[in-house]
Amino acid sequence: MRIKFKLDGEYVEVDAKHTDTLLKILKDKLVVGSVHFGCGEGTCGACIVLVNGRPRYSCLTLAGYVDGKEVTTVAGLAHDGELSEIQKAFLENDAAQCGYCTPGMILTAKALLDRNPSPTDEEIFDALAGNLCRCTGYVPIINAIKSLSKKR
Amino acid sequence: MSQVASGYYAPASLRDAISLKRRLREKALFVAGGTAAVQLVSKMIAEPEAIISLEKVPLDYVKIRGNVVEIGATTPISRLLETRGLPTALREAAENIHGLALKDMATVGGNIFTPAPAGDIATALLSLDATLVLRGTRGVRTVPLSKFYRGPLKYNIKADEVLTAIRIRRPPRLSSFLKQTPWRYSGPTIASVSVGLDLDKNKKARRVMVAIGGLTTHPYRVKRAERLLTSKKLTSELIEEAAKHLVDNVDIIDDALASSWYREVIAQVLFKKILNRFI
Repeated sequence: MRIKFKLDGEYVEVDAKHTDTLLKILKDKLVVGSVHFGCGEGTCGACIVLVNGRPRYSCLTLAGYVDGKEVTTVAGLAHDGELSEIQKAFLENDAAQCGYCTPGMILTAKALLDRNPSPTDEEIFDALAGNLCRCTGYVPIINAIKSLSKKR
Repeated sequence: MSQVASGYYAPASLRDAISLKRRLREKALFVAGGTAAVQLVSKMIAEPEAIISLEKVPLDYVKIRGNVVEIGATTPISRLLETRGLPTALREAAENIHGLALKDMATVGGNIFTPAPAGDIATALLSLDATLVLRGTRGVRTVPLSKFYRGPLKYNIKADEVLTAIRIRRPPRLSSFLKQTPWRYSGPTIASVSVGLDLDKNKKARRVMVAIGGLTTHPYRVKRAERLLTSKKLTSELIEEAAKHLVDNVDIIDDALASSWYREVIAQVLFKKILNRFI
């Protein structure tokens, strides 16, 4: 089947099998570098993308699902070479080490802050429960998100 | 019979979804949120000729009218968390599903079919005496959740039927859900316990429903413990006695996540914690 969707603001069209996952299409057909395969079962969050603004595991999303929708990867957050607020906060807080989890972390953080601009620690832990990091111990990541939390 | 090509279908109505399933039967796989169903495909456990995605079928709703709560089968967990007035056990089960993406993707209907170490919403619904609404080519049928599981991954559903809603009639006044996972946020379920009950003014239980999840492929009701607790004043001694019968004749899962002994102990601890709140 032929699917057409918006990837980081640009229309793309690809052939996909009905059983192909979005992750497979993004990596193999569209060669998106920032979307990572970790566990393939919705545990690690390295493959998370935003579909119409909501976070989804691309390994658990079939390619057909995004037909006519908007997919945002971490690369889509930057504009004209300028990093977004969240990306800057991750940079300033040393919230990335090996970087494998970072795109998923940033996208989940964005989805959280879009919905809830001033999350509590508890709400941040809860939102990030599906994103594993094996380097940082999470503290810098939590700090990066907290640095953007708007006081009510 | 007309030939339906293999492929990805996203019907816009329930009627279209059912007619597709009638034609494709076992060749087609229903996908709602995808958290469980897509793994069947990506891990090559199933090789369906067609996918029927329920994403466009309007089953994402929660209706609370008087004494009836009805939840559309494709309602995601995040919608439950936005809804006020749900029975406590159901809300607590939803709160115990962590991670933004999972909450947005996982659906209540999908959870009913998902085996241990997941499927905790089903445990809560079982303790609320929920009924499933199944729609097929020959009309609508309702099945109590307590009569839905017929063995591991065997369900009381026909090849042309689709689960459309979960209904709770007369939810118990009191209910509570607890689960134990290996770590604080998310993770597979070692054991989950959910209890629904109505107490009269003398603290005697008029109706008790006890459901246990995580110990077997699908959650089960504990009739023996329910009978022990019914029509008696709730005391810690009575709770202690009932806790001894949570796993009678149950073949408990024993795997790398937890031993059967440990799961049994945890189930008892959770059960006692819940009921002691209601004394």
